[in-house]
Amino acid sequence: MIPLSRRAVLRGLGAAVALPALDAMVPLRAQAPRKKIRLVCVEMVHGAAGSAPIGIKKNLWAPAATGGDFDLSPTSLRTLEPFRDQLTIVSNCDCDPAEPFTANEIGGDHARSSAVFLTQAHPKQTLGGDVRAGTSLDQIYAQRIDGETPVASMQLCIEPVDQSGGCGFGYSCAYTDAISWASPTRPLPMIRNPRIVFDELFGVNGKSPEDRSILDWVLGTSRRLMNTLGAADRAKLADYMDNVREVERRIQTVEKFNRSGEPRDLPAAPSGVPDSFSEHVKLMFDLQALAFASDVTRVFAFKLGRDNSNRVYPESGFNGAFHPTSHHSGKESKIVDFAKINTYHVSLIPYLLNALQQLRDEDGSTVLDNTLLLYGSAMGDSNQHNHKRVPFFIAGRAGGALRGGVHVRAPNQTPLADAMLSVLHALGCEDLDRFGDSEKPMDLRG
Amino acid sequence: MHFIVAALLALATTPNVTGTWNMGLDAGHVIPTPLVLTQDGNALTGTIALPTQDFNKRVEVKLTGEIVDGAFKLSGNVENAKEPTTIAIEGKILEDGTLEGHLDLVPGHSNLKWTAERLKERKQQ
Repeated sequence: MIPLSRRAVLRGLGAAVALPALDAMVPLRAQAPRKKIRLVCVEMVHGAAGSAPIGIKKNLWAPAATGGDFDLSPTSLRTLEPFRDQLTIVSNCDCDPAEPFTANEIGGDHARSSAVFLTQAHPKQTLGGDVRAGTSLDQIYAQRIDGETPVASMQLCIEPVDQSGGCGFGYSCAYTDAISWASPTRPLPMIRNPRIVFDELFGVNGKSPEDRSILDWVLGTSRRLMNTLGAADRAKLADYMDNVREVERRIQTVEKFNRSGEPRDLPAAPSGVPDSFSEHVKLMFDLQALAFASDVTRVFAFKLGRDNSNRVYPESGFNGAFHPTSHHSGKESKIVDFAKINTYHVSLIPYLLNALQQLRDEDGSTVLDNTLLLYGSAMGDSNQHNHKRVPFFIAGRAGGALRGGVHVRAPNQTPLADAMLSVLHALGCEDLDRFGDSEKPMDLRG
Repeated sequence: MHFIVAALLALATTPNVTGTWNMGLDAGHVIPTPLVLTQDGNALTGTIALPTQDFNKRVEVKLTGEIVDGAFKLSGNVENAKEPTTIAIEGKILEDGTLEGHLDLVPGHSNLKWTAERLKERKQQ
């Protein structure tokens, strides 16, 4: 067996497809035994029905019991039941940096919340280029493992986040549109178009091969490589290439339809963006799984919504628009409707968890075991526009740093940043003693 | 002597509403609205920045009023309105230190319920 570099790629005309973990790479793995921990940070806006007083009573977000014996069935997390052993639910935390600090900041909750979620820092109220929040959690981790992967991190989104200027109440749209901050003054743009993600992951230079498969471009090197591999590796590589081709085919199908002249639900969206929310999210998740399989990057930030969005999610079983539904007036029937939307959003997460559970790292553990996915919002009760008792959970065990299968209910007024600080510790950043407005690390093992 | 002690005790236990309040105006959904109050004895002065249809613009209205036994009334005139418009606020201090009450805008006779939480005191950023 000819040893392969972990960074080996299939090169062709203008494309470079990174390889999955193969047995032929084992000799190199022995030199670098450290686990590769992947991080996915998913932000959803508008808080949750389970953060409203009635929603708390009805356990619409957090289950009633703490510890390991929790019942997910009344909660918006119920579709995560198959992954309960991988689940760490953290409830009753506040996101105080998203609250107004001055009279002028009152009312700007929608405009500034997204900037707070991963930074746990209070954004400076400005319409100019002098934006300031904090370095986000995903970027702290990406900077720690800088150089270990071809792409340090990627920032993906579903809704349009390309507005310039102000997004209301004296806040720059940078705060509304970005969740990743490379430094307190550098928000990172987010990619909405799966085609661009695909091209960045697979190093396609110049014009994208919209009518051809990228694998055609690397076919020659692929065949040569196949001849040098053992049977198991050949099967693994073929499987991986099939997955790449399948994702590419889906993107091409979307592009073909969107350029056909047929009416679109999202006429202003780029041609690579599916009209269907779930199809879009799943494509983005498949791209993340492919990236993890080939170790192109280990860090994704994924913004599922945009504040004030009026998107409708028919697949949730409720046809009300997102933002107005989140303003439920504290009425039980409306809170239950809002919970349907929350449930639908969370129901898409198992798609990625399933994919990561199918993937194996070199040591035989699943990629899900070596992943930390966090999901949440910097808003709590969206009807009040407050940032108390915000929705938050973690999936994956971060290489064993997390136990999973636990619901941790924090004491009242605990900063969400305490949980985030512990997340950073689980990612290997144990030397950090503060993050945002954290007071102390939280025991996430229950 | 007893009178002086009772008066001092009353002063010590009457909460002071001076400060910046995040008022949630219940207009179908809750609209966060800044209410800034200054209490001097029983006299109250302050401002409320009322929302407009343009969410980037608010109309600041000066308020005057009185607080007695934790219940207060405030009123003011909306300047530069198309027609003379007054605002009247009634509220009270709750045990947990928050406020609640209702707000009338005349003409229009809007009668909106509201609650308010005092903004936390913060160290200078």
